[in-house]
Amino acid sequence: MIMNETLPTSAPVPADEARRLQVLIDLDLLDSPPDERFDRITRLAARLFDVPTALVSLIDADRQWFKSRVGMPLPGTPRSASFCAHAILQDDVMVVRDACADARFADNPMVLGDAGVRFYAGSPIEIGDGARIGTLCIIDRVPREFGPEERTLLRDLAAIVANEVAALELKAVAERERRSAATVRALLDHLPDGVLLFDAAGTIQSCNPAAEHMFGAPCQVLAGQPSSALIGIQPKAVARHEGTGRRVDGSTFAAEVSIAEMTLDGRGYLVATVRDVAWHRAEQERVRAANRRRHDYFRTASHELRTPMASILGFSELLLKRDFDAATGRELIDIIHRQATRLIGLVNQMLDLARIDSGGSDQLHPAPLDLVQVMEKVKAGIEDAAQSARIVLHPALGLPQVQADPQRVQQALANIVANALAYSAPDSQVDIGIAAQARDGRPGAAVTVSDRGVGMTPEQQRQVVDAFWRAGALPDVPGNGLGMTIVREIVAVHCGLMEIVSNHGDGTQVSVWLPQDGVHAGPESS
Amino acid sequence: MTTRRILVVDDQPDLRLLIRLTLRSLGEVTQASSAEAALAQLAQSVPDLLILDVWLGEGISGLELCRKLKDASATAGMKIMLLSACGQQSDVAAGLAAGADHYTVKPFSPEALVAAAAGLLDG
Repeated sequence: MIMNETLPTSAPVPADEARRLQVLIDLDLLDSPPDERFDRITRLAARLFDVPTALVSLIDADRQWFKSRVGMPLPGTPRSASFCAHAILQDDVMVVRDACADARFADNPMVLGDAGVRFYAGSPIEIGDGARIGTLCIIDRVPREFGPEERTLLRDLAAIVANEVAALELKAVAERERRSAATVRALLDHLPDGVLLFDAAGTIQSCNPAAEHMFGAPCQVLAGQPSSALIGIQPKAVARHEGTGRRVDGSTFAAEVSIAEMTLDGRGYLVATVRDVAWHRAEQERVRAANRRRHDYFRTASHELRTPMASILGFSELLLKRDFDAATGRELIDIIHRQATRLIGLVNQMLDLARIDSGGSDQLHPAPLDLVQVMEKVKAGIEDAAQSARIVLHPALGLPQVQADPQRVQQALANIVANALAYSAPDSQVDIGIAAQARDGRPGAAVTVSDRGVGMTPEQQRQVVDAFWRAGALPDVPGNGLGMTIVREIVAVHCGLMEIVSNHGDGTQVSVWLPQDGVHAGPESS
Repeated sequence: MTTRRILVVDDQPDLRLLIRLTLRSLGEVTQASSAEAALAQLAQSVPDLLILDVWLGEGISGLELCRKLKDASATAGMKIMLLSACGQQSDVAAGLAAGADHYTVKPFSPEALVAAAAGLLDG
């Protein structure tokens, strides 16, 4: 037939196809499970119009998919064979009384095949601002008439389908909003920074749990307080203000505060984030203190190096420029020699200290160590036999070996013993106890050096490990004030402990405790 | 011309000897090893020039003593030369702020010390 050849069997694409498809996709209805709210409408339509088939058909890009179907075995069919694709092109109900007599459908597979479609009536389902996503349609295997009253009925049923779709859409929107609000809530709940919301006058409206924790009170208590009470500043937009946070109990903490303005429902608010920076501040203070110590150390070191240099330069210049008798000349040369010796000793000890300080435990050569043997070496190393004889060892039985650097430990103990000998009467005894001792549950051994000398005041005990500090009461005692500093550093790199017990005028007791497992071998010794 | 009198205060015996030998051509040089010992001597008689170490170990510091002496009417006219192994600009400024007439940094050249001391004695 001429008509069959000239008229296309598949429907033209609607003018708003792209937008229509987008609306359909956003509804999230395609390929969704059956839904009673639509099924009851198709059941109703089939009964009402006394037809075998009623469908809610959604027109996808290249198929029609049935959201609800009565009397239809297929979940969908190709769009090219779809009656509904035609129905969505017109505003009103589309009626095909006899498909065999309609050029658009006479050769349609649904008409020619087993389905045997003869009658079709479909009303577009129109969503929101006019996107026709599909139809409510009824189908029969015999040709039928479809009067105006029936058209109205089908149109009304299609409108009910559209309402149900709109209701679903509203529900989906509400769910999306709920989920988005829940995400924001969870974000605020878990944010480590405190968040405070102020009204324009600076009164707290709301806060997050971090802020509750930070300021030590629940939101209901914080709400209504002025910003100045908690963060000490009037609320205005500010970035990274370094200030003080005040908890409700009056205690304070170092806080970094940022405030931003925001508008909500036409009203102005201020939102502040508060970060507890106590740790950060403490860290900065530690760095500053370390820098101060380093500066003090270099200042003192420079002073201590310049002092013997003053003698060396001064006396040598006098010797070069003036005439002295032989005895005086010799005396001056003796001073120069003594000060130069002191200078080189100082330089060596400073280098030693720097090496221990910078190398840490990596510079150690630990080995299993018998502290009694080490003390015997210290005693044997004292050249003056009379001084050496003042030392009395008291080793306990069953001493454990400790894992430590033999040379460093000997150096530390020798320094302590030298101090004990120097700051006590020349004939008094120096007792050295060596015993197993656990500290904080860690096994180890302690060496305790006790003298019967001048002792130290509490202030002197604090200062004794400071670099270049010397007990000033005895200017004739040789030394450079670095000995105990070196002891402190050696004990520290061994993860040990040093304690000084002294009563002024009643002797000093210095103990060094070393852990049994000690430090592990550094890379150098492996 | 009367003999000028110079008091050297330093806790280091070698330094006291060095200064005594260096300045003996200028007059009579006496010594003290601490601020306290110096105060005891000053209570007896006030010299023309005080050469004062800044770091004196424990006890009153040289700076403190310098301030004290410049504030007291009996010693305000005495010339004071501070002597120190601390030679930073801030150290010198602190010394002059304490009222010192001169600040000498250790180590020093004896010849230069003689010139500086002579300048103070004649000034």
